[in-house]
Amino acid sequence: MTVTGQEITDYVERVRAALADLPPQTREELTEDLPEHLAEVAAEADGSLVDRLGTPEAYAAELRAAAGAGDPAAGRRALERRIASVLGRARARIDRLDARFGPVFGHATAGEFLRLLRPAWWVARAYLAAMLLTALSTDGPLGLLPRLDGHAFVGLLMFVGLLYGSVWLGRRTHELRSWRRWALHASSAVLALFAIGAVADVDDHARSGYDYGYESTSVDNPYNEVQDVYVYDSEGRLVENARLFDQNGTPIRLGWPACDDPALPDVNPVQRGYPYCPQQAPFRPRPPAVAPLPPGSGVGPDGSPSPTVPGAVPTATVPGAVPTATTPGTPVPTVSVPAASPSVSGPAGAPLPTATG
Amino acid sequence: MDTTQLLKGVLDLAVLAVLRDSDGYGYDILRRLREAGLEEVGDASVYGTLRRLFAAGLLTTYVVPSEAGPHRKYYALNAAGRDQLTRSGKTWRAFATTMDQLLDDRGMAA
Repeated sequence: MTVTGQEITDYVERVRAALADLPPQTREELTEDLPEHLAEVAAEADGSLVDRLGTPEAYAAELRAAAGAGDPAAGRRALERRIASVLGRARARIDRLDARFGPVFGHATAGEFLRLLRPAWWVARAYLAAMLLTALSTDGPLGLLPRLDGHAFVGLLMFVGLLYGSVWLGRRTHELRSWRRWALHASSAVLALFAIGAVADVDDHARSGYDYGYESTSVDNPYNEVQDVYVYDSEGRLVENARLFDQNGTPIRLGWPACDDPALPDVNPVQRGYPYCPQQAPFRPRPPAVAPLPPGSGVGPDGSPSPTVPGAVPTATVPGAVPTATTPGTPVPTVSVPAASPSVSGPAGAPLPTATG
Repeated sequence: MDTTQLLKGVLDLAVLAVLRDSDGYGYDILRRLREAGLEEVGDASVYGTLRRLFAAGLLTTYVVPSEAGPHRKYYALNAAGRDQLTRSGKTWRAFATTMDQLLDDRGMAA
């Protein structure tokens, strides 16, 4: 048997489309056992349904005439008839395209090729349904794996269940009638729309993720706010025209010359040393010209009085001066002067007479 | 002369006649008509006719579940259908006799 269930379904669909202008109930009555009948026709011999029964449209016309159901030329339901005829023409055009593009895919019609992909759609729609449930059950951005309330394993189980249901449904689609069929098509359309939205959303997140990463590192860069660099040596002196290099010898450029006097000649900032603005140094600007030492070296003056004091105080000369007055022969009368001096002068003068006196 | 044109007029009668023997479902009735010699009867015509006769109140239907295949809708003659068959049968006989007579008189062999 060469006729597939799908061919029967399509044939029935087209017959129904050709009867679209009839009241739904009448149309349903006329075609309700058509699938079963076509199945029996298909089982009796080889060849396509169209070969044996003619086109679905001709079949529908014959059915309509024999049943005495509403001549299509009757005045009522003119709008529906027009729609039906437009649909019929569109269908005929699609059929022609279908046949034309069939060879591209190596089949008689493109539809035949697409029907082979149906199981793939069953899997895809199960995944999409799982993702839709994921989106409904969790806040926040959608990932790529189905999750139920954030649990990936539960999401996987859900997906497997939906997959089973989707395949089951897919194998029975041609048995569905009227509203169930419409409900299936409608939910497929919803899933397709959801897929478009979800893909756009994921794409959006994937691309903006890079942006966020870049921005966050630059925000974290502590040198972003640096405007100038001041280098001090170990003595606390501001180093002028300092240059900074990294381990590769590349100059490190930080800040910018914010204090440039427009009167000064324009110098390429890359060739300039730090600081750009010495007068804005955070630890006191340059010390006044009077003092040769930097401000931080306050200890220096305190520690170096020895060289300056000598000129001010003559006491140092006492040891030498006093003994001149004292002759070795007359030690006694000059005793009144500091007690220390005799001991100092003792060694210089004559120790023996003082000991005797 | 196209047989299908003739069939249009007498398909109702033919369908009622094959249902007189026993009830049948669509495809079964179609097969009986073809076995009886009406080779050119169309599928859709038979289905449409069954629908119309049912709508006219000449047939009853019932569904027979099938274990192997799809459920089948059987058609059966009711009282009105049998009356109609009788009347239409008589009409056809009279008409056919008249036509035979007409042709015989002019020496045309059957």
